[in-house]
Amino acid sequence: MDSAKDILLDWRLHASVLIITIISELIGVIKVPIGIGSILLLPLLYAFVLGLLINPNVVRKAGAWIGQREVRAASPLIVIAIMPFIAKFGTIIGPSMQQIIDAGPALILQELGNLGTIVLAFPVAVLVLGMGREAIGASFSVAREPNIAIIADKYGLKSAEGAGVMGVYVIGTLFGTFIFAILASLLATSGMFSIEALAMACGIGSGSMMAACSGALAHAMPEMEDTILALAGASNVLTYATGLYLCIFVALPVTEKLYDLLGRKTAATPDMGE
Amino acid sequence: MSDSDIPVDHEAEFKPDLAQNAAMLAVVCLIGLVGNTVATDATLMQGVIGFLVLFVISMVGLLLTLTVPFKLPSVAWISLVGIAMTLPWTPGSAWVLDKVSHVNFLTLATPCLAYAGIAIARREIEIARSSGWKIFIVAVLVMSGTYVGSAFVADLFL
Repeated sequence: MDSAKDILLDWRLHASVLIITIISELIGVIKVPIGIGSILLLPLLYAFVLGLLINPNVVRKAGAWIGQREVRAASPLIVIAIMPFIAKFGTIIGPSMQQIIDAGPALILQELGNLGTIVLAFPVAVLVLGMGREAIGASFSVAREPNIAIIADKYGLKSAEGAGVMGVYVIGTLFGTFIFAILASLLATSGMFSIEALAMACGIGSGSMMAACSGALAHAMPEMEDTILALAGASNVLTYATGLYLCIFVALPVTEKLYDLLGRKTAATPDMGE
Repeated sequence: MSDSDIPVDHEAEFKPDLAQNAAMLAVVCLIGLVGNTVATDATLMQGVIGFLVLFVISMVGLLLTLTVPFKLPSVAWISLVGIAMTLPWTPGSAWVLDKVSHVNFLTLATPCLAYAGIAIARREIEIARSSGWKIFIVAVLVMSGTYVGSAFVADLFL
């Protein structure tokens, strides 16, 4: 890892991010209407795509401008760059504290909704796609860093479970912001769930997923922006506190049990090589 | 694959000292300030003060991460500081709110995602390639399931 000074002085990196930011903000939010609702394209999504386009690991020709040095330096800056965003989020939660306390039970219990991945993803992985034990790592959680640590600790990352969690982690890193922005804007305009519930659900996952999700919701319902951001932010803070324990004590044991139950039928054709 | 292959916790853990953090945060805030000036009607001066307030909140949060023995990721501390400073009964909360109101929250995430795009390592591209389409489907279902599950439970108790 380069020292902080090297990272700081990496002007190509910062200049690129500055230019990407300006371009993305100049384009602004674009609304794409589709059948059941509309999808909102946000500047942060363009920024990610533009970042990928100048990444030499994605577009080889970009190596002329951005090297592996810049790629390495960019990683710790993600954490730094999310800080002012998180600070701003805090200032949205504060004034709405009374509202958050009123929504308390829903806010705490919706953390259990994170188990929805086991209900939806796990059966499909095992029964439809015929996956082996990697389905356990892949579908017990949203596969962010703390969840990887749990799998690494219990099975090791070389195991089938490890391959599963790493696969979903990488897909989440590459496509998570898009998936959450699309989910949020579709569900917001479809009216299936209340906006408050959708806002709370945005708090799962990582900071950038929350940004994409709550940003899409706030643009779909501009008159509720403060409520949406306050609930999403509060839910995200809560996830830091409870997420790990829910995974260790509930999600992973349940997924293991389900595998014993459902996995047997597919045990004859183990499919570990995906 | 060794333990060092566990990806760095991009959004929660990173341990340079406080001065290095401050310098990197300043760079990020400057980029954010330009973005905010492009994206919103806020004047440059309103943006500068808004970002200064957010910078201070982030630094207090980082200081707490380093000093408080109770372990929470720095983003959690920063969030808590932001909350504490703007509670209705906190003295001066109206001033803080007025200043940060000139900074658009979504614009703040734009530089972060630009860094994230540039930070994708060769190994991550390789994993995505070798995992195949099944993992892609499962990942989409994982995210949808978690999101819809949370929204469903929240709706029951609202």
